[in-house]
Amino acid sequence: MYQDLKFAASDGVCAGLSPVSGALFKKFCPRFIDGFAVTIELLVLSSILGFLLAVSLVLGRMSGRAVLSWPANVLVYCFRGTPLLVQLWIVYFGIGSFGADGLGALWVFFKNPWAVGLLVLVLNTSAYVSEILRGGLVNLDKGQMEAAQSVGMSWLTAMRRIMLPQAIRIAWPAYGNELVLLMKGSALISTITVLDLMGQTRTVFARNFDLNTYLYAAVFYLILAGIITVFVSVVQRNFSKSRLS
Amino acid sequence: MTSSQCQLARFMRANGHKSYLNVEGLHKSFGALEVIKGVSFDAGEHEVVSLLGASGSGKSTILRCINLLETPTRGEISIDGDKLPLKQGKKGMIVSDHRALCVIRARLGMVFQQFNLWAHMTVLQNVIEGPVQVLGLPKDQAIAKAEALLDRVGIAGKKDNYPSQLSGGQQQRVAIARTLAMDPKILLFDEPTSALDPEMVGEVLGVMRDLAAEGRTMIVVTHEMGFAREVSDKVIFLHRGKIAEEGTPDVIFGAPRTAECQQFLAKVL
Repeated sequence: MYQDLKFAASDGVCAGLSPVSGALFKKFCPRFIDGFAVTIELLVLSSILGFLLAVSLVLGRMSGRAVLSWPANVLVYCFRGTPLLVQLWIVYFGIGSFGADGLGALWVFFKNPWAVGLLVLVLNTSAYVSEILRGGLVNLDKGQMEAAQSVGMSWLTAMRRIMLPQAIRIAWPAYGNELVLLMKGSALISTITVLDLMGQTRTVFARNFDLNTYLYAAVFYLILAGIITVFVSVVQRNFSKSRLS
Repeated sequence: MTSSQCQLARFMRANGHKSYLNVEGLHKSFGALEVIKGVSFDAGEHEVVSLLGASGSGKSTILRCINLLETPTRGEISIDGDKLPLKQGKKGMIVSDHRALCVIRARLGMVFQQFNLWAHMTVLQNVIEGPVQVLGLPKDQAIAKAEALLDRVGIAGKKDNYPSQLSGGQQQRVAIARTLAMDPKILLFDEPTSALDPEMVGEVLGVMRDLAAEGRTMIVVTHEMGFAREVSDKVIFLHRGKIAEEGTPDVIFGAPRTAECQQFLAKVL
């Protein structure tokens, strides 16, 4: 169903663009569109899952309990402190090299480059987003938490209802920046054989050695950046109605 | 106990006052600095107790210890017979039961100097948040109650505004409504008018005067001497972390015995 929809959309877009597209693009249009769709899927999933994980990480880090804050800090430090490319290769080629015998049931997951790519993107972006949220939280006025506690809210309720909603508003521009970085970073998953936009672009280039191929890829990434920018500023406008004092 | 404390306790027993809030041997240190050096007092039901003193005398710290926004170093506090859940930790006391603390805090209303309205919520959302999230009140009931309270403090027309769109006096009246929405047993006021422009002090004091008149139990830290004298049942004068003098407003303002209190009043009156 979803696949059919994708094919229909791909056909529609390629047919629509054919009068204006050059010979190269006309020939490989379905590949570009397919890669574009894979990149969008991974971005939507990794930004949503990454955000949820980032909230858990920041709660752990701010909880004041070593059993929670210590692992969260280590995870954030490792994923912020190493290149995304290294993380992808360690998980896909490194862990994957244990094979079906070594990994048992987990092999189903680790042999799938798309799933590994998603996992690493989620972990990577959650590390950055948790740092962004933490920055928002520590900059909030102490009185906001005190007022929440003084009406009898537990720490967790206060975080959920009072602190995090405000931290997100404060951190929103920085978060928008992270979304764009995530989009650009996602191109690296083409190195673990995922046919995302970059993966398809490399395939197309390998067939014709025409450097214009990369220009088409750049245009698609710019379109994505435009979509993200519009999304971020629409939400921002919504937030600023509440005008944080 | 000083003789005046004894007299007062006798007076209260004679009049059938029940001690509602009891603070016993309260000590609080910040690092090496001891801010509260053994303070004991109580407040009966329906009583208004004012804490006065120069800045740095520890009055706000005492108030913040009552709902454990600050954890005392030593001492005991009980509210309507329930002791605050504290136990001895490695460094001073720590909260022993966070759930019990939340229950007690829900019965104590705190009004802050800086209002501390939640900036991402409208006035109405600020007032219903506690009842809905903490007391589990259905939203429509909470809204009806909040609207009545906002009407009472004279802000009904601003219920859909955000805090940053209100004046200081209006914000503080919303903060009082937010506190009242929880039906608190005791109201704690931490210098509620100190951050206000002079022309707005009156509107907030007016609301507080009404609350005192309807028999609320209130602990008030304030620099408004006229207000303290007018509405208090008991005035406690603090000096360097200790109670220097304690008594009825007429005694404290009319015939202070200690030199510290005399000097303080000479400066502020």
